[in-house]
Formats: sequence, structure tokens, C-alpha cells
Amino acid sequence: MRSREEMVSLVIKRAAVFCLPSVLLAVLGLSGCKTAPPPDPQSQLIAKGRDIFFNETFAGNGRTCGTCHPAENNFTIDPAFIAALPKDNPLFVAEFNPALKENFENPALMREFGLIQENLDGFDDLKNKFVMRGVPHVLGLRTSVASPGGPRTGWSGDGAPGDGSLRSFGVGAVIQHFTKTLNRVPGIDFRLPTEDELDALEAFQLSLGRQQDLVLPLRLKGTVPKRGQAIFLDNSLGKCNLCHVNAGATANFGGGSLGNANFNTGVEDLPDQPARLTTQTVPRDDGFHTPGDGTFNVPPLVEAADSGPFFHNNAIETIEGAVAFYDGDAFNSSPAGLALKQADPRGVGIELDGTQIVAIAAFLRVINTLENIRQSIMLLESSLSVSSPEERKRLLQRAAAETGDSIRVLEGGGLHPDAVAHLRDARRMAEKAVRSVFFNRKHTEAAIRDQKKARAVLVD
Amino acid sequence: MNVMKFVVGVVGMSALLVGGQPPASAQKMTEQFIPIGQSPGLSGKATVIGKLQSVNTPQKTCVIAGPTGALNVTVTEQTKIWLDRSKLQQPNLKGTFADLRPGATVEVKPEGQQRGVASAAAEWIKVQAASP
Ligand code: HEC
Ligand code: HEC
Repeated sequence: MRSREEMVSLVIKRAAVFCLPSVLLAVLGLSGCKTAPPPDPQSQLIAKGRDIFFNETFAGNGRTCGTCHPAENNFTIDPAFIAALPKDNPLFVAEFNPALKENFENPALMREFGLIQENLDGFDDLKNKFVMRGVPHVLGLRTSVASPGGPRTGWSGDGAPGDGSLRSFGVGAVIQHFTKTLNRVPGIDFRLPTEDELDALEAFQLSLGRQQDLVLPLRLKGTVPKRGQAIFLDNSLGKCNLCHVNAGATANFGGGSLGNANFNTGVEDLPDQPARLTTQTVPRDDGFHTPGDGTFNVPPLVEAADSGPFFHNNAIETIEGAVAFYDGDAFNSSPAGLALKQADPRGVGIELDGTQIVAIAAFLRVINTLENIRQSIMLLESSLSVSSPEERKRLLQRAAAETGDSIRVLEGGGLHPDAVAHLRDARRMAEKAVRSVFFNRKHTEAAIRDQKKARAVLVD
Repeated sequence: MNVMKFVVGVVGMSALLVGGQPPASAQKMTEQFIPIGQSPGLSGKATVIGKLQSVNTPQKTCVIAGPTGALNVTVTEQTKIWLDRSKLQQPNLKGTFADLRPGATVEVKPEGQQRGVASAAAEWIKVQAASP
């Protein structure tokens, strides 16, 4: 399915295509632009939201939503991405803005582990009351926010002020991350988003990534990923599908969907958490509510493999490690682990061996690659219908970047070298299309064919 | 293997892990910095803005004259009270029950999503700070 975001560029650029000859006609002193139908209101709203997301600073410290949720890095940031940013990037305001030097961010933990400081339990003791969290991608939000108890946003599900909705999230983000000083006075340190801006931001964010959940099992071709899928879906072995139904973000224990639920899976009890190995202060994160109940919100897994590090505290760098977490003590002694154990006829929570951990991770790598291929094809197709060379270049470059993710994700697990070869061809063709003036269509179409060949290697 | 026992046990989990939370309450504490009347999705819908008519300190209750009548508010352990000083261009502060002074303009978010009730426990109360 084509995401709304790309539909917007399609619609808008199609309008431009219609008008293209008018340039020639204008040169000849004639007027002959057949105006195309204007883009529909929803597409216009999404385009407006996209502009706000990537360009609006809300009169604050220079950050935009895109500072921490950049499109070119799967709408999240990690230490490698951070390391490549220039020193004056507004992500680093705490390093060069004296008013934000203390109690706003922890530059050491940001650079080494990609962690962001948040005052989820209140702003009355900035020095001691804060949590350090990773930045979640904002993909597939249409599938990962709703719950019977209300909308769940952020790692603990209570990230948004007001009614707690995705629409309201932006207001909290501006107050937390965009302020010029720690006074956080609206109208002085930042301005709050208007109602119209919130509508547009919401529409844009809902347009990103998957619009619906997968239906598992897929007809996977790889031996190990296929076994991984079976373990994932097996409620007496992997048990993953209880909380991540169809590798998404909803739970179902057999009594109907619980929506995007919260659980205490014991991530905070992991020993040797990277950030806590340093000399920096990292207070315990108590999760949902103030004071917290220790639970965190279930993230979707289709988008996981290329958006690590994993969990709310970026505690684990690799997808294999994230799966292995469920075989450990921290999980099996947690309230969720104990409940699984109680419900299990053999009295075990989740017990996996090395081969099984790797198999589940291989499955997560393959479904992530399939999603990247879907996105890449969409971007490539959109690029064929735009007239603006810059827009075409942007779409082709994003397709190449997504393809790079596909390659890394498969190679990182030693999976499907034949698919990787097709993906390399696809990336080369997309890059050629970026450079080519006359043959970009030909190269783009070749790239689409290679993407489809890669997909055919992974799944029937 | 006893599948039924498994399902029943796991369904039991839902109460332990998901349940027990009042719907959509106690959202992110950035609420503190949002001026009275501007809480997204709440102001004009699920909150009451009005003047404090009376305050009963021993009982931790107060009465607010809202646009559609009086609202009897109970302040609980969970109620967050904030001092809204944004009109003075000063930072908003965490407040206490003592900040609830008769005559002050307040915005109250009743617990849950109830609207148009005559009495409710407050999830949060924002108090307009007096001009200097
Ligand atoms: C300084 C970095 C930073 C900036 C800037 C930023 N975010 Fe975030 N974002 C985060 C972090 C960290 C989280 C996790 C928050 C939590 O756990 O409550 C997050 C979470 C989110 C989520 C929740 C996603 C989910 O899966 O539930 C949304 C939506 C979001 N941000 C939107 C925005 C918007 C809109 C803006 C701009 C107004 C923005 N962010 C600006 C760091 C940032
Ligand atoms: C009891 C519910 C539950 C079960 C069972 C469960 N998960 Fe999770 N999962 C969660 C929650 C909650 C989180 C977020 C935890 C946190 O960050 O503190 C999570 C996070 C994850 C993440 C990190 C995603 C990211 O973007 O950082 C991965 C990967 C993951 N789970 C995989 C699995 C796999 C594989 C299984 C089966 C072996 C599984 N989960 C079983 C609830 C569950």
C-alpha cells in the first residue's frame, strides 16, 4: 500500500507535470496551462504537517521534530547517526547554549547511547527527577496507539499532555525539547502549536509507514526465518505473539484484542545496562503514570530490526540481543514473565536456546526487510511521477537509503545473500537514476524490478 | 498439554498487567506549562474553567463556579495542582492546596472523561496566579 506521505508528493507533483508545458508556452508568449485538479484536503494537510515536522522550530531553541525523528534514519536517532552530525546541530543545544547546559540533556549519554532526557515525573526537581530514554521511530502509528484505556504514546504510553492523544503529543514535545531556557514559559521560551498545526502534525505522522498490521504467518522461503516465525507465533514456546500480535504493537491473550497495552517486562532490571555502566546518574524509570507502575508500552516489531538500539532505555544494541532478553532473568522474574510462567503447563516463562533466539531475530530481520522493500518501491514509483528534479532526487535518495537498510539488516544476520545481491543492484540503479538526466526513468524502473526480485527471494 | 488452562491463565494476566489504570489519566507532566484554557483535546471539552467560590481545607474540597453551574471538587493524593503564571511571563510552578484561594480563576480536569457532573475528584487543577 502506498503511504499517504508519498501520495501527497505524487498528487502535488502531478499538478506540476500538467503545468510543465506552460513554461514553453510562456516563452512563446502564450498561456496554456491546463491546471490539474488541486490536491485533496487530506493530502494538503499531510503536506502541511510534513513541513511543520521538519522545519518548524516553534520559536524555540532551534530544534524541529525532525531533529530527533529524521526521515533519512527511520525517524529515529542512534549513536552512529548522532556522530555524523555537525557540532552546531540543535540536537546538541545543551553543549553550546549556556541556558540549557544543566538539567536539560546529558550530552555524554546522548552521544554514547542516543539517550534523551525527559521529565516524565514532573519539573519540580530537574536535577534528580528525570528519565533517560531512546527515541522511538514514529512509523506505523496508525496501528500502535489505540487501547481500550485510551491512547498510548511514548515508551510508557503516557507521553502526551492534554487528552493523551497522538495529536496532543506535539505540545508536550515542544515543552520538553524545544525550550530556550528551563523556565519553559510559552510565548517567551517557545510558542505552543496551534490547533491547525496539531491537526496537520497528526495527519502527517499517521501517514508514515505501515497503515495496517501484517497477517501472519507469511509464506517465508528462508529455512531459519520461517522457523523463527513459527516460534514467534507459538504461544507455548516463543509466546511473542501474545503481546506483539502479528509482530505489531497490540496484545491478545485469547480473549480479544487488548489494543496497544502496557506491561512490566523487567527491562529496568537488566544488569549491566550500558548507561548505568558509566559514571553518569541514571535514575530508575518507573514507566506509566506518576508515580509510575513500572509498565511500558508495547512497540511494533516490523520496524524494529533497522531502528535499534532496543527498549525504552536503549539497553540492547542488536536485534539478537533484544530477543535473547526474553530468555533472561530480568524478563522471567518480571510481573509479565511470572504471569506467563503461572499460565504455562510446564511452569516456564519464556525459555529459548541460542538457535531459537537467532531464528526469531532472523524472522524479525526478514519482515523488516520486506517493509523496507515495500517503502522503497513506493518511493521509486513516486519519483517517476514528479517533475521537480529536487523532489525526484529526494525520493530516489530515500529509496536508496531504505535499500541500504535492507542490505544491512539481511547481511547482519547472514541471511539471503541472493536477495542482498538484488538489493545491491537496486541501490546502484537508484543512485544512477539520481545522477542521470536522460535515463533516470529507465534506471528507476530497473531498480523497482530488482526490489521485486529481492522480495521474491524472501517470500512467496 | 492443557491449552485451556494456558488461555485462562494468560487471560488472567491482562488484569495484572493492563488493568487497574483509570482511563487516560495522569498524562505527561508537561501539562504544567500549558496555560489555562489551552490543554490540547481537553480545554473546552473535558475541563471546567471558573472562579473558586469556596475552599474547605480540612476536607480538601472546593467549589468552582463554572459556566454551567457549580462543581464540587475533591482534591486527592493523586491530584496535581499547578500555579499558572504564564500571563505574568513567569514559569509555572507546582502548587499545593494552599494555592487554592477563593476568587482565583482555575481550570479543573475531573478524573476520567466525565463531563457535566456536579462533583468529581480532580486529576489536575491549574490556578491562575494573582497579578503582582
Ligand atoms: C530531543 C529529541 C526529540 C525531539 C526534538 C522530538 N522528539 Fe518525539 N520523541 C523523543 C523521545 C525521547 C520520545 C520517547 C518519549 C517517551 O517515552 O515518552 C519521543 C516520542 C515521540 C512519539 C511517540 C511515538 C510512539 O511510538 O508512541 C511521537 C508521536 C513523537 N515523539 C512526535 C514528536 C513530534 C511531533 C515532535 C515535534 C513537535 C517531536 N517528537 C520532537 C525525542 C524527541
Ligand atoms: C508480556 C508482553 C510481551 C511479550 C510476551 C513479549 N514482548 Fe516484546 N515488548 C514488550 C514490551 C512492553 C516492550 C517494551 C519494553 C520496554 O522498552 O521497556 C517490548 C519490546 C520489544 C522489543 C524492542 C523493540 C524496540 O523497538 O525497541 C523487541 C525486539 C521485542 N519486544 C521482541 C519480542 C520477542 C521476540 C518476543 C518473544 C520472544 C517478545 N517481544 C515477547 C512486551 C512483550
